[in-house]
Amino acid sequence: MQTGQELIGKNGTGVASEYLTFTLGSEEYGIDILKVQEIRGYDTVTHIANAPEFIKGVINLRGVIVPIVDMRIKFKVGVPSYNEFTVVIIMNVLGRVIGMVVDGVSDVVALSGDQIKPAPEMGAAMDTDYITGLGTLNDQMLILVDIEKLMSSEEMQVMEQVN
Amino acid sequence: MTQSDQNNNIDLNQFNQVFFEECAEHLAEMEQILVSLPDEGPDEEQLNAIFRAAHSIKGGAGIFGFQDMTVVTHVLESLLDRMRNHEIPFSTAMVDLFLEAGDVISMQLAGHRDGAFVRQEAIEQISAKLQQVIDAGSLDAPAGSASAAMIPVPEEIAQSGTVASEHSDQRYELVFTPDPDIFRRGIRLENLFAELEELGELTVTAGLPATTDFNSIDPEICVCSWRMTLVTTAGEADIRDIFEFVADLDQLQLRTVSENVREISASDDSKAIATVTPPENTRLMPTGESAADPAGAATGRRAYDKNELAAGAYGRRTSEAESSIRVGVTKVDQLINQVGELVITQLMLAQTATVLDPVLHENLHRSLLQLERNTRDLQQSVMSIRLVPISIVFSRFPRMVRELAAKLGKQVELKTVGDTTELDKGLIEKITDPLTHLVRNCMDHALETPEARIAAGKEPCGTITLRASQIGGRIVIDVIDDGAGLNRAKILAKAAERGIPASDNMSDEEVWQLIFAPGFSTAECVTDISGRGVGMDVVLRNVQSMSGRVNISSEPGNGTRVTISLPLTLAILDGLSVAVGQEKFIIPLNSIVESLQPAPESLKTVNGGNVVHVRGEYIPIIALYELFNMDALVKEPGKGILILIDVEGEKAALLVDALLDEHQVVIKSIETNYRKVEGTAGATILGDGRVALILDVNSLFRMRKQK
Repeated sequence: MQTGQELIGKNGTGVASEYLTFTLGSEEYGIDILKVQEIRGYDTVTHIANAPEFIKGVINLRGVIVPIVDMRIKFKVGVPSYNEFTVVIIMNVLGRVIGMVVDGVSDVVALSGDQIKPAPEMGAAMDTDYITGLGTLNDQMLILVDIEKLMSSEEMQVMEQVN
Repeated sequence: MTQSDQNNNIDLNQFNQVFFEECAEHLAEMEQILVSLPDEGPDEEQLNAIFRAAHSIKGGAGIFGFQDMTVVTHVLESLLDRMRNHEIPFSTAMVDLFLEAGDVISMQLAGHRDGAFVRQEAIEQISAKLQQVIDAGSLDAPAGSASAAMIPVPEEIAQSGTVASEHSDQRYELVFTPDPDIFRRGIRLENLFAELEELGELTVTAGLPATTDFNSIDPEICVCSWRMTLVTTAGEADIRDIFEFVADLDQLQLRTVSENVREISASDDSKAIATVTPPENTRLMPTGESAADPAGAATGRRAYDKNELAAGAYGRRTSEAESSIRVGVTKVDQLINQVGELVITQLMLAQTATVLDPVLHENLHRSLLQLERNTRDLQQSVMSIRLVPISIVFSRFPRMVRELAAKLGKQVELKTVGDTTELDKGLIEKITDPLTHLVRNCMDHALETPEARIAAGKEPCGTITLRASQIGGRIVIDVIDDGAGLNRAKILAKAAERGIPASDNMSDEEVWQLIFAPGFSTAECVTDISGRGVGMDVVLRNVQSMSGRVNISSEPGNGTRVTISLPLTLAILDGLSVAVGQEKFIIPLNSIVESLQPAPESLKTVNGGNVVHVRGEYIPIIALYELFNMDALVKEPGKGILILIDVEGEKAALLVDALLDEHQVVIKSIETNYRKVEGTAGATILGDGRVALILDVNSLFRMRKQK
């Protein structure tokens, strides 16, 4: 149960922010809701030649060409199947619009600072570098992802690297 | 009188803003010309442009009642006019003087617009200085004993300066439509006109309703209307007074007009049948001119205006303004996207309807067909908004070339090729300046004099060719001349002199690039046409700002070719869609030569690579599925379709599964949200809403070589 008191937190750092939670395989992840533009079903994509496997291709999102990455392939979790329940989270990251295929979207939750613990090494399929912390919610662990850092990283190959 | 004066001001107040804006524009223009003036003085055109600016400011200021602004502009105008008539020679010091005058006018403008402080003494000073030049006949002559008091300001301005209630010359347009019984009331129009004539210069044109049968006119019934132009210092009330016992309020339309409006057309319902001149003045003038002349006579020097305003020059400008509107490119982009969405929705509807019985749902099917047609039309119209033919830019060059050729004593022929190549509006606007620079450079540096050309065994008449085309993913504009070509030694020497890093063993291409360095100019003398060393680096900068490229190729004695290549990101492309496996690609139509199903005997291998034999040529085959590492239905060249492409002489045959359709597609950048994809020039959205990649044929060649 969440109450306003709990949201504010005790040590002053606990201003609540909201997270969209999604699942990849058996793990529950959360990203800053403000980065999420919309959630939509998986459509046919246009494959991009010579792109890594986890970059499924590009789609037409109301006249904008948007790349789609499949996190399940990237982090080797879950089974990359595509059906009418496959969900794509369209995000606004660093001025770009990027779509991310996940196993499912669960909820929007508010977490205050004291509900977030630093992530231990080797915590998840994702590199710890991209994890801002672990959230706890109703005995459930939530891996909070720094989506900007992840998407702009070299290994995602989504953006042109500056150097 | 004061009452009507106030009314006048209230009416005009709403136009003041327009005047301020125009005035600021004129000042900016004047300054721009002045600053860019070459050392040996302005040419006729520049002088005229400065003059026009000063004249327009003065005219506007007079009409809107800012009498103080007309003082400086008037003296400035007089001086410029004397210069135009070559009565006063130009000297470089005048530029500073004119700039100073411009500053004073700006100050006055700011005073009126924002209530800023106006230094009166500055106005007097500059007026005195200008007048001094006029009196002395040149700036360099000994200064006369000029003072502000000595300026022979024209009467009307002097009056306005001293007596606040007096008007300066005002131009009125009156339309007098009397009732049919006016003659029976014993009113004599001659007397009316004579009275008006006493106020100032008057021109009267009688109009007859077009419907009137000339033979049935009753001389006692008035069917005419009169259109009068009156230039006078008198106020509106004075004019109305004259009409007081003659006309009812609704019979007389009176308005002040801008001095620039010289052309008075006959109104629709009446045709001018005669020019009635007042008895005192028996000159007979053609109707068109009659309007312009009295104004000129009243204010002194106005003969010069005739040309620029002749033959409806003013009217033409107005109609142009009405036939187009300025819209932001983002709005158009938005429109294109939205229409794209509409097309997709329409296709979805059509697809859904296919399962419905055509007999039962006949109406629905018919409507859907109509919807399809309408959306297609709409899409095409929207897409065409952004495109304009490059002839808009090219068409300005013939005159420029002619004038420059005459000035330089050279014979030049200008050829344009590919006038219909369509360019995005934004690119058109930006490409004009660089092209102008390049053509000027050709004229001045590259092309030789007729004597030199004959000596070199060439035609005395040089040729400049402007060629536009769409090649691959880019729009290419060539400026080609058959002049002397670039001089390698001279460029290297110049580079050394200017401290630009260069060495003798640079390749020709690298040497040519040196001329893009800022401040580089190899012309022996600086002329007003070019040679000031600000040309090529500006060209390069402008083109680069459009993410374009500039290339130079040159051959000594045979001429130079400057190639500007612009990206297509803004443009719309004609393309052929082809299928490879599950994917569709768009191939730019202009790089396609033909498509063919090869006969088995025409297929050969060279070093393991496939080639196809077409009309005596062996052309390498590029299998798209291989290049892009994807699955294809057809992997044997003999079973698929080959599309012959040709880019700048390099040929290849692309192997695809099938040809699909010809489209006009909007090019969208993949890089906005993703990274550059090798072998593509962008992406587009097809009719079914899917994304298709547009192939960049040039980079396909590169990819093949890397493999």
